Amino acid sequence: MNKGVIITLPRHDDVTEYISQFSKEIIDEAQSRGIPVKELKDKSCSLVEFEKIVNGLNYKLIVLNGHGSEDAICGYKNEVLVQIGVNEQILKDKLTYARSCDAGVKLGPEAMKLNDCGCFIGYELPFVFYHDSQRETNPLKDNTARLFLEPSNAIPISLLKGNLAKQAHENGKRFILKNIRKALRQKTNDAVGFAEGLWNNYMGQVLLGNPEAVL
Amino acid sequence: MNEKSSTAHREEISELLKELVITRIEAQMPSNLKMSIGSYGSFTKNQLIQHVTDDDEIGRQVMKMHIRFIRAQANGQLVDALNSVADE
Repeated sequence: MNKGVIITLPRHDDVTEYISQFSKEIIDEAQSRGIPVKELKDKSCSLVEFEKIVNGLNYKLIVLNGHGSEDAICGYKNEVLVQIGVNEQILKDKLTYARSCDAGVKLGPEAMKLNDCGCFIGYELPFVFYHDSQRETNPLKDNTARLFLEPSNAIPISLLKGNLAKQAHENGKRFILKNIRKALRQKTNDAVGFAEGLWNNYMGQVLLGNPEAVL
Repeated sequence: MNEKSSTAHREEISELLKELVITRIEAQMPSNLKMSIGSYGSFTKNQLIQHVTDDDEIGRQVMKMHIRFIRAQANGQLVDALNSVADE
């Protein structure tokens, strides 16, 4: 397997636009470390392209941005990229971070069944974040969304730094807790709402597969 | 309590929980923000309130999120978790 990262960037609605734009920080981290990055943007975030790239490049780290369900993760316009009973084995022995709802419930465990040295970090609950409708044309300037998406980015960034899967998982969770503290210190009306959403993501985040998995 | 009054009781609790969540959304969420909930999409404050009122799938997800948080506050889980990062 090769050291490198494949990252899906579907960008077909405001949710996928936000998570794709915030993924720039993950891409920048990889590039700063000389780790090759293959971006699957927009229409290239299709099943055919995804399978071709994953199998062809054989990069170890896969970052999946997109809508999901308990048994599938989607790409552009919700075309299914990975699904139980179809191609979940494509994630075997990879380090996968799935910023997709609920995929940690069934797809993650199934993908890790024959796994040896890989991991799946994802969510057992819908991933939640607030965003400012006045910032939708420039998501990276949206500090409300940043409160939620930076802790999420911390997971693949931690893997890129060479940390073990369990450390990356823990780093992500601790970042969420620090942002809950930060929000609550503001003592504004929206603080509790932000804390609720962050807590949802904290409780939903799961690490499956090999906790010692490393890039 | 017989079955009929038990059902009525459960419905009353359910309505109270709905009211509680709606009150929290009204108090906590500024109107310029949207909440993105997984694959369901992004919703304004008024849309969230409508979904909770309608008791549909989205409304139930929102209610679960609120109840999860309230429970964590009440049983100390939230405080314990926050204290674990207190010195960082």
